[in-house]
Amino acid sequence: MVPVEWYLLLAAAVFCIGLFGILTRSNALLFLMSVELMLNAANINLVAFSAYWGNVTGQTFGLFTMALAAAEVAVGIGIILVLYRNFDDVDVTLAKGMRR
Amino acid sequence: MVGAFDYAPAIVLLPFLSFVLSLTAGKYLPKGGAFGGIAATAGSLILSAWVFLTVSAGNAYNETLYTWAAGVGEGTTTLTFGLLLDPLAAMMLLIVSLVALLVHVFSLGYMNDEGETGLPRYYAGLGLFTASMLGFVVADNLLMAFMFFELVGLCSYLLIGFWFREEGPPSAAKKAFLVTRFGDYFFLVGVVGVFATFGTAKFAGEAAFPVIAEEALAGGAEVTTFGFAPETWFTILGLLILGGVIGKSAQFPLHTWLPDAMEGPTPVSALIHAATMVAAGVYLVARMYGFYALSPTALGIVALVGGFTALFAATMGVVKRDIKQVLAYSTISQYGYMMLGLGAGGYVAATFHLLTHAFFKALLFLGAGAVIIAMHHDEDMWNMGGLKNRMPVTYYTFLSGSLALAGIVPFAGFWSKDEVLYEALIHGLAGSPLLLAGYAMGLVAVFFTGFYTFRMVFLTFHGEPRTETARNPHGVRWNVKGPLVVLGVLAATVGVVNMVPLHDLTGGFPPEYLHDWLAHGELSALTSEHYGELLHDYAGYTSADVASYVAGAVSLALALAGVLTAHVLYNVADPDEHTAKLGAVKTLWYNNYYQDEYQIWIAESFVLPLARLADKFDQGIVDGVVNGVSSVSLFAGNRIRRIQTGVVSNYAVLLTLGLTALLVVFGVLGGWFV
Amino acid sequence: MTTRPELNTTGSLLPGLAAVALFVVMAVAILRASFGDPQGFAADAGITASIGYAMFDLEMGSVPGESFLAALIVVAVALDAALDGSLLLAKREEDGSPVALLADGGRRVRDRLRDGEASSDTEGGADADADSGGDA
Repeated sequence: MVPVEWYLLLAAAVFCIGLFGILTRSNALLFLMSVELMLNAANINLVAFSAYWGNVTGQTFGLFTMALAAAEVAVGIGIILVLYRNFDDVDVTLAKGMRR
Repeated sequence: MVGAFDYAPAIVLLPFLSFVLSLTAGKYLPKGGAFGGIAATAGSLILSAWVFLTVSAGNAYNETLYTWAAGVGEGTTTLTFGLLLDPLAAMMLLIVSLVALLVHVFSLGYMNDEGETGLPRYYAGLGLFTASMLGFVVADNLLMAFMFFELVGLCSYLLIGFWFREEGPPSAAKKAFLVTRFGDYFFLVGVVGVFATFGTAKFAGEAAFPVIAEEALAGGAEVTTFGFAPETWFTILGLLILGGVIGKSAQFPLHTWLPDAMEGPTPVSALIHAATMVAAGVYLVARMYGFYALSPTALGIVALVGGFTALFAATMGVVKRDIKQVLAYSTISQYGYMMLGLGAGGYVAATFHLLTHAFFKALLFLGAGAVIIAMHHDEDMWNMGGLKNRMPVTYYTFLSGSLALAGIVPFAGFWSKDEVLYEALIHGLAGSPLLLAGYAMGLVAVFFTGFYTFRMVFLTFHGEPRTETARNPHGVRWNVKGPLVVLGVLAATVGVVNMVPLHDLTGGFPPEYLHDWLAHGELSALTSEHYGELLHDYAGYTSADVASYVAGAVSLALALAGVLTAHVLYNVADPDEHTAKLGAVKTLWYNNYYQDEYQIWIAESFVLPLARLADKFDQGIVDGVVNGVSSVSLFAGNRIRRIQTGVVSNYAVLLTLGLTALLVVFGVLGGWFV
Repeated sequence: MTTRPELNTTGSLLPGLAAVALFVVMAVAILRASFGDPQGFAADAGITASIGYAMFDLEMGSVPGESFLAALIVVAVALDAALDGSLLLAKREEDGSPVALLADGGRRVRDRLRDGEASSDTEGGADADADSGGDA
């Protein structure tokens, strides 16, 4: 069996890649993708520990996370649309104030 | 049964009602509210007389009426209002309400007939003044006394500054307020000290603080003395309270406000200096005499301050030109006698002098007021002269008051002043050189008193008129003459209540009414008998055997010498200013020993730099800290604001860095990296 | 005319160092920790079935797990809310009445970019000409 450390390391790597994307890019769609990466890094952990403890709770929770990711994307896309409408761009750095 | 004591609160409340009435509706009342004030003080007088009669039947009243801050639990204090009516309070009530009534009547002539404006304010002030003083007299605990003491001070401020549009009165009012307040700070500290020490400030009853103090000295009670020996601590407390007394009763060195207070209307001067504010200080010492009697040091200081003030003020009175100034210094001097009496263990004597002085000094001030009306508000005695024939009623009553003040037999002042000096002498001879010093000063002051009093009388009423106004004075009406006559008769006769020398000479006749009055009572801890025991046991006062008529004869001779000197110098058709012969002494006396100057010097060279320093501390350090906090916050906010760019990526960076830092901290603390 | 896709490198890579640092910290922490052997599942365990039972609070699975019925309902509601929310956000209102959700096919962006390039001296004029020709 693969020791759980490696799963964790993989999850950390995926998470940091997602984070890297968020930190260095300004395109909102790229943001959404990076956030997906980070969420899935968390999923990896959940599943890894599910196997570690021999318990399905982690896996079930992973499913919920995916559902929530879908919800997040739905809202995120909506926000991107509004962003585009207001700034004629999907660059998140353009939206600086609470109001225009 | 409903007795006088049930109506006693009304004695205080009636003048207060008059105050409220004058203040709110004075404009619509006839005479600016004067009749309301007269009715109220007359009511107080009647009730006081009733209380007096009830007390004379051997009753006393010592009840808490209202608790306004109830102490909860062990070791807390309860703050209350209550009434204490014993012989001393009953006597004082009678004096205060009588003088207040006469002053109200006199004001009709002095203020209304002279067409003054602002009369509602004036009568409101008089009403509140009377109410506060009466409240002070009946107070059953030290804190209540302090509160009314302060109210009296406030009223004096309001009344002295009555003519606030002129230059002098507001400044005099402020001075009176500040100087007495300076003393009151000590009083306040003393009140707090008494509460901290005894847990109560009641004057009378089982748990009164003088009683507890006595038990503590006898070893029967435990009190908090903050590490001092009980004797020392009680002396400290007594001296702190004495600070308020010295301020209010205008004793050296806080007497400077009183001569300036003459800027107020003359009836107010009569009220302040005869019966109320200035008397408050002496009355306070008499009220808690059971406490002072425990501390020979405090008594010695009281006596010395009193004796010194008596002489000191009398010398200044000798050279004044202004009739009210002479009276002002005589007031200071006479209160010095009372303090001497109290300090010398002559509780009855001092109370007696308080009684007689209230009448004859009120009389003299009102007489001076009548003269001032006649002189169209010119107060310089050198512009008067020869008023004797033109205003006989004023002259003869004024003469009665002057004889009393000078201490000429058989007028009231002789008996009381003589007894004060007698007490100082007998206790001084029995081993208290301090009291002998006080006695000597008092005795010298007798000569000066006789001199300045009759200098004033001769300059004002005798000789030839020196100005046109004096030749043709303004007439005065019944409302001026009435009070003068009442007080004139009293000044001449009130001495009969306590003619000690005569009593000794004739072997028991007439009886010493006042001695008997104060010696017994239901509240045995407040009687002069008890005070005598305390003085003997704790202060170590014993009496030397000197016949009272011998001492009386000595002081009478000195007083007569003073009067004769004045007669020779000033009772001529056209007197000269002999004061110039005194040379440098005259300048010294005329400038009041440069008391004002040295106080201003103290204020400017010590207090002002100190205040500046405090201001610097306040501005620099206290405000500096506050301002520093604000400017640091502003500056930091200005800088930190820049990380709030509104750009989401930057926030993400900060979040990441924060998480990393947090992980590192946890890791290091939790040993993850080891 | 279309442009080739190219990597947008406008952002600075510097903030990415924070992510790298975080990874380093996490990696060190993970590698320093000792977890022991994983338990694993039994060979014949019906994992998927167990997940299904766990979600509906039916204790019939062969693998232990907690019950998630409430979470299931909550997530269902959340998805619904997200759908509505996204519609609400995407809806464009002009003068108080909703207009089509459809975008304009990127025309406005293109126009804006073209205008920006037209006003810029550094860019070549040929592209701008080509763009305007394409539009016409």
